[in-house]
Amino acid sequence: MPEPLTFSDWIRNRRPLLIIAGIQIVLLAFIATRVMDIVIVEDSREVVDGVETITLRRELIGDPLLFALAAVGMALPLSSKNLRREPVMLLTVQLMIVALLIFVLWPVGQIFVEGFEGSGGDKRFSLENYQRLFSRPMVARASRNTVLLGITSATLSTLIGAVVAYTLTLTDIPWKRILRVLVVLTLVSPPFAVSFSFILLFGRRGLITYDLLGIRAWSIYGPDGIIMVQLISNIPLAVLILMGVFSSMDRDLEDAAEDLGAKTFRLLRTITFPLVTPALLTAWLLNFISSISDFGNPMLIGGDFQLLAPQAYIQRVELFDPQLSAALAVLLVIPALFAFALQHWISNRKSYVTVTGGARTGQIRKLSGWFKWPLFSIVLFLGMFNLLLYGSIFVGAAVKAWGFDFSLTLRNVKGLLIAIGELRNSLFVAAVAGVLGGFIGIILASLVTRRRFAGRGALDFAGTLMYAIPGTVVGIGYIIAFNAAPYLWTGTFFIIIVAFAFRRLPVGLRSGVAAEKQIDPHLEEASLDLGASRPRTFAKVTFPLLRTAFLAGVIYIFIRSMTDLSAAIFLSSARTQLFTVRMFNVMVRGSPSEAAAFAALLIVIIMLALGLLGRLTGKSFVDLFRIT
Amino acid sequence: MASEANFATASIRLENLSKQFKEILAVDDVTLEVEPGTLVCLLGPSGCGKTTTLRMIAGFEDPTSGKVFIGDEDVTEMPPYARPSAMVFQSYALFPHMSVYENVAYGLKARRTPRSEIRTKVREALDLIELEGQDDKSPSQLSGGQQQRVALARALVIRPKVLLFDEPLSNLDAQLRVRMRGELRDVQRRLGITSVYVTHDQEEAFSIADVVAIMNQGRLTQLGSPLDLYRRPADRFVAEFVGLSNVLPAELVGSNDKGADIRVLGQMIHSRQAPTNPSASISVVLRPEAIRIVTGEDSGIPARVRTLAYIGPIARYTVAIDGDGTELIVDLSNPASDEFYEEGTAVRISLPKEVPALLS
Repeated sequence: MPEPLTFSDWIRNRRPLLIIAGIQIVLLAFIATRVMDIVIVEDSREVVDGVETITLRRELIGDPLLFALAAVGMALPLSSKNLRREPVMLLTVQLMIVALLIFVLWPVGQIFVEGFEGSGGDKRFSLENYQRLFSRPMVARASRNTVLLGITSATLSTLIGAVVAYTLTLTDIPWKRILRVLVVLTLVSPPFAVSFSFILLFGRRGLITYDLLGIRAWSIYGPDGIIMVQLISNIPLAVLILMGVFSSMDRDLEDAAEDLGAKTFRLLRTITFPLVTPALLTAWLLNFISSISDFGNPMLIGGDFQLLAPQAYIQRVELFDPQLSAALAVLLVIPALFAFALQHWISNRKSYVTVTGGARTGQIRKLSGWFKWPLFSIVLFLGMFNLLLYGSIFVGAAVKAWGFDFSLTLRNVKGLLIAIGELRNSLFVAAVAGVLGGFIGIILASLVTRRRFAGRGALDFAGTLMYAIPGTVVGIGYIIAFNAAPYLWTGTFFIIIVAFAFRRLPVGLRSGVAAEKQIDPHLEEASLDLGASRPRTFAKVTFPLLRTAFLAGVIYIFIRSMTDLSAAIFLSSARTQLFTVRMFNVMVRGSPSEAAAFAALLIVIIMLALGLLGRLTGKSFVDLFRIT
Repeated sequence: MASEANFATASIRLENLSKQFKEILAVDDVTLEVEPGTLVCLLGPSGCGKTTTLRMIAGFEDPTSGKVFIGDEDVTEMPPYARPSAMVFQSYALFPHMSVYENVAYGLKARRTPRSEIRTKVREALDLIELEGQDDKSPSQLSGGQQQRVALARALVIRPKVLLFDEPLSNLDAQLRVRMRGELRDVQRRLGITSVYVTHDQEEAFSIADVVAIMNQGRLTQLGSPLDLYRRPADRFVAEFVGLSNVLPAELVGSNDKGADIRVLGQMIHSRQAPTNPSASISVVLRPEAIRIVTGEDSGIPARVRTLAYIGPIARYTVAIDGDGTELIVDLSNPASDEFYEEGTAVRISLPKEVPALLS
């Protein structure tokens, strides 16, 4: 006789199911109260016999669509049996999906929505902005300029980067160790600090152009200046990507080809070049994205050369035309996404460069003097030039008035005291964003590498997407998405922190994935097998083994957040003023020496953060930026 | 271990277990019962589904269909950490950021065992594997064999009902492998713990297992004691996988319930088992050591020596039968210095008079 089932048995048998259902309801309710609200508004008002009657009604505000998307996103992993069995895992996956939806996909999507809205608060779909947009010569000019600048800058920086990387890895030039650091020095400065030091050296009262060469007619402001500044800023990325390839290339392949009769030129054409092509394309595409996204440099040094990213800012903040600004942002985001998708496709194809223990990799070629010394001069020039740029910032900070009075003073350093509040804000925001982004990156990395569930690919995509989104677009997207009730996040530290954390999440995620792939998957399985739950396994095995990747992610996000301008300029408010925004204003309006002190302090902070990274993990800053 | 006796072990039962990976059917309808206290080897070539089967028992893979029972409990839906099994991995999977002691204590801590109890149990386990006094070493400071023992201790200390081994010895050199498999077998016998052991090494499987389960292309091909499998392989795959063998077509002359008479290469052989389907074409497995080379002029089948190799205690010949050129492998034991046949020598070979079974 089967025992009659009591109610408590019924509950116990369904406990996992009930727990899951409970979690789902709580989470959904929480999201609902965040993204939607019910407000009481006036419906009608009539005066009868001198008595005024006001009828009120309830109205739903906020984003029911976002709520619906979140609900669908939460339903996706429910279809995976192995997640249903483990409520903690299920909840983690769902939280990640919801977070990426709200803080990545939604604000980026809002750009497109607002770009297609009518002007003057009309919410219906309209191509009006684009008609308006294309009827203006400025837009066509800015689009053409942006794409041409991107192509020129990416091509030149990739070519120079390739020459430099080849010279530094495979030839026997002297001083390689120090040159390797010098040529990538500009990776760690705030991007617009490069254009600032260009102004110091080559500007209207520039040390070299005005004082040394006595040039009066030529001006750094304009396309020439932007290209030079972008080259200096972007060459390091190309150098890092290509040094990786050159140093892992198997010398035996070239020897075999030579042995089979291929002479120098044929060798380059048939062996060397095909091997490095994927890396060249990757470097080109990433530098293309970086060039068209550039906001700070054109703002400082662009003169009247119109580009999309600065125009999107000017339209919104100075000319108060948010729809046009969003439409420009759409124009900006399309080529960036296209380049990113292409890069993703290339890196997912099978790579030719195989790293095997026995291969003779990174062997030095003995070059004749005719090749060696010109190559050496190029690399040396680049390294010295970077040093000069940094040097000019520190010297600039120590003198009374750059270009006029070069006597030493502490005035500029003392002048930093007025920005102490901004500095505190920036340090706080960057530190919290670093830890938040680092954690999310590591958790996402271990989910997408170790678990199989419905929506895993989408999670990986959404986690990486921000890499392609220019900071200007992130800033505009966040403002559009979270400006109104029920969010009212603009002007808070919260919005800046999440924007920074999610904007730099891709690097945290990718470095986590790379590290996770180095770990024997059996280690995590052994832990589960010995009875440790998923959270315990993560805390005791996975996380300790990913510690280095985590710290690298935190410090990378910290540095990038400390130096961010393009998103920060939209998101910081009077109450949450950031150091870079203040510094930018000083650069535009204040004296060069005052501004130099700001840039110098920022560089010192970055160096300290990198020193801390080296202390904690033994990694150098070159490792930190090796992201592809 | 002081408390060996109270090791609660349990049977394992796999019912119609299948696993589909995209287009590949990795495990195809496997049903297997492992008696309490026995050691079953899953043996097969790489890609045969043996490791996937083991991982489904541990809970690392979800079966596409079928069920896994440990004891009477259906564990199919259970996550790995809730199952009463413990696994010893091919890569050992020792946690590199923990000491030997912490590695062994790991499962006990996860179970929230009191600290003093953990200490006693870990000591006992380290004594059992003769690694006392090495507590504070990091796994990387140990030799391969020692790492393997720590992995075993780490699995045993949580008192699993069943032990799972995933090619545990394949990272060791040949000599150590032989010694370690003896140690593993000793510990398993002493504790009487139900075990499933995956390997692709026939010799290892035969020396360690109570029951060997041969797998091929996701299916369980044959189940039996090592002797059974060697004497009466169910098909050509098993015959060739379990030791070197000559599989030859045979002609059925007559059969009854006591056995059958067949003709192979013109010679009559008696089989102690009748073919299951007398009308189908049959073949016979002739082990290399069952064939002899004879010197007399009048007896045996004329053949010519093709190759000769000395493999330790035996000399291995391949001979080609005169006429149709059928090649046979022949092992002769203890070849004396004056008693071998050069390549190209004409010889006569004699087949065994009797075989245990036929393939059909």
